[in-house]
Amino acid sequence: MTSSDLQLISTQQVLRQLTIVWADFESRLLQVPIIFRAINNQLQLEDYRRLLADHYHQVKEGSGWICRAASSITEPYLEQRAVFIGHATTEHQDYKMLERCYQATGGDINELHKQDKNIGSEALSAWMYYKASQPNPFDLIGAMFIIEGLGKQFAQTFAEALQHNMGISVEQLEFYTYHAEHDEAHLDELEAILNTGILTIPNIRHEIIRTAKVTARLYLLQLEELGNY
Amino acid sequence: MTDVFITGVGKCLPGKPVSNDEISAIIGKISDRSDSLGAATLRKNGIKKRYYALTANGDYTHTNAQMAAEAIHAAFAHAKRSPDSADYLATSTTQGDYLVPGFASAVHGELGIPPLELASFQSVCASSLMAAKSAWLAVRTHEARLAVASGSEFSSRWFQPGFYQPFYNESSKPDPELEFLRWTLSDGAGAMVFEPEPKPQGISLRVDWIKQKSFADRFPPCMYAGAASNKTTNNQPWNLYNSPAEAYQAGAIALKQDFTLLYKMFPAWVGYYLELLDKYQLDPNDIDYFLPHYSAQSLGQEMKKLLIKTGAMIPEERWFSNLVHCGNTGTASIFIMLDELVKTQPLTAGQKILCFVPESGRGICSFMHLSVFDNN
Repeated sequence: MTSSDLQLISTQQVLRQLTIVWADFESRLLQVPIIFRAINNQLQLEDYRRLLADHYHQVKEGSGWICRAASSITEPYLEQRAVFIGHATTEHQDYKMLERCYQATGGDINELHKQDKNIGSEALSAWMYYKASQPNPFDLIGAMFIIEGLGKQFAQTFAEALQHNMGISVEQLEFYTYHAEHDEAHLDELEAILNTGILTIPNIRHEIIRTAKVTARLYLLQLEELGNY
Repeated sequence: MTDVFITGVGKCLPGKPVSNDEISAIIGKISDRSDSLGAATLRKNGIKKRYYALTANGDYTHTNAQMAAEAIHAAFAHAKRSPDSADYLATSTTQGDYLVPGFASAVHGELGIPPLELASFQSVCASSLMAAKSAWLAVRTHEARLAVASGSEFSSRWFQPGFYQPFYNESSKPDPELEFLRWTLSDGAGAMVFEPEPKPQGISLRVDWIKQKSFADRFPPCMYAGAASNKTTNNQPWNLYNSPAEAYQAGAIALKQDFTLLYKMFPAWVGYYLELLDKYQLDPNDIDYFLPHYSAQSLGQEMKKLLIKTGAMIPEERWFSNLVHCGNTGTASIFIMLDELVKTQPLTAGQKILCFVPESGRGICSFMHLSVFDNN
């Protein structure tokens, strides 16, 4: 077996473990009260506005912790640092889209800016920054797999349910439909970064999966604790 | 615990194969619009032939229990064993002929064999491997010496226009939740005989493991009958109405499929498959035949991509299915597929077979892993 075969196998094994974590959490999404109620046609516009408000911090801070992670990456991984920086740049303006949706639902932008994090969001944010502050925090690939994957799936489930049940407008949904339609390439990007040799870092495979599990739980917590500040 | 072998397989496909343009004559016509939705469904599921225990003049050729009994007799004949020596019978079906008592009793009655131990399994497609597992374990633990498991369905009786009339008439817009199943499911039965030794001559299949996982903790009912809706606000069971007639009027009797939910189950099933690959250290390239109880078309591109990226995809040329010419017979399908595999394919000792039965009922995922034994 050549070293590139071995690398492919270890990448596949990590993606396999990540997919198992992702599948479990994605199906648990349906039980989160906000999704459960959306599917059962029990939501009102104010519930949706609250979701946008409580999601806001995560979206705004996403590129923040990715930049922090980039700054924690040292030699010999500067190539990978460039990928993190690129990723942060792509996502940096997403919060503006969310702000537009919030205003389209009749929300006051000043209120949104003053909004506290809910307690789940607080835990998720603290965890992401803590992880990003560790040296060479490549275990955050596990977090990205969950946030990108769950984000896309959640967006799709939620956007569909709201369109069916609430007759919500395209402008009000822009943020979620955008994420449901984009983010397709994330699997390729993650695979590419796993293939750059980082899997030879001691214990990193275990840490990637563990970080994915914790992140997934905290992501759900953020949705479970809507309105609890 | 002892090794256990499948020594006989059998099936019952009632009547003559029914082509796509003959379906309406059997299951009846609701409206022209419903027929055109049916044609679209058939293009999607790719089924060209199927069998029905109903006839065009409204009679039935078999009951569900009679189809099961016929398949069981065929499996015993293939195993060269007398059905009279069986000491364990496990049956599976989505809906038996009677509401009460259990389906295994009906099948035992039809078989005309001496008293034996019974188990009735009722679910949609996954009840097949529940019955198989029960028969396998009975022999494995020396509780039984000769066990048989069956899967059988009489789906077509659900699809008569009368089942839909209270809320669905000629001028109604066709409802895909109802129409999909109407044009997809058909009738049939299959069975397998389990013994502690392989056949003295010919091919036997050793059962290596059977595993299933239910995800009902996270999914509401997806394919269901007996409630007007699967939404929390309106899911009163049919027998809690004031009368069966009232339940029927409320639409609580028809069989339905919630598509949005169906697609949400795929990742959970893929996750479970990956878990089992790891648990049993299986290399997908070592599987010689993969028998999926659903059409390849419905394997979403996204899922396929994920399987390829995780090194978990079984090469498509190793997929074996008779969906196109036997139809989708629910819990009977995996038995009918195995019957055809054993009787038509050149199986050789040591080959590995993986059966996959995902159930949309309320999210159950099942697998059975077999090894080929040859005493020729």
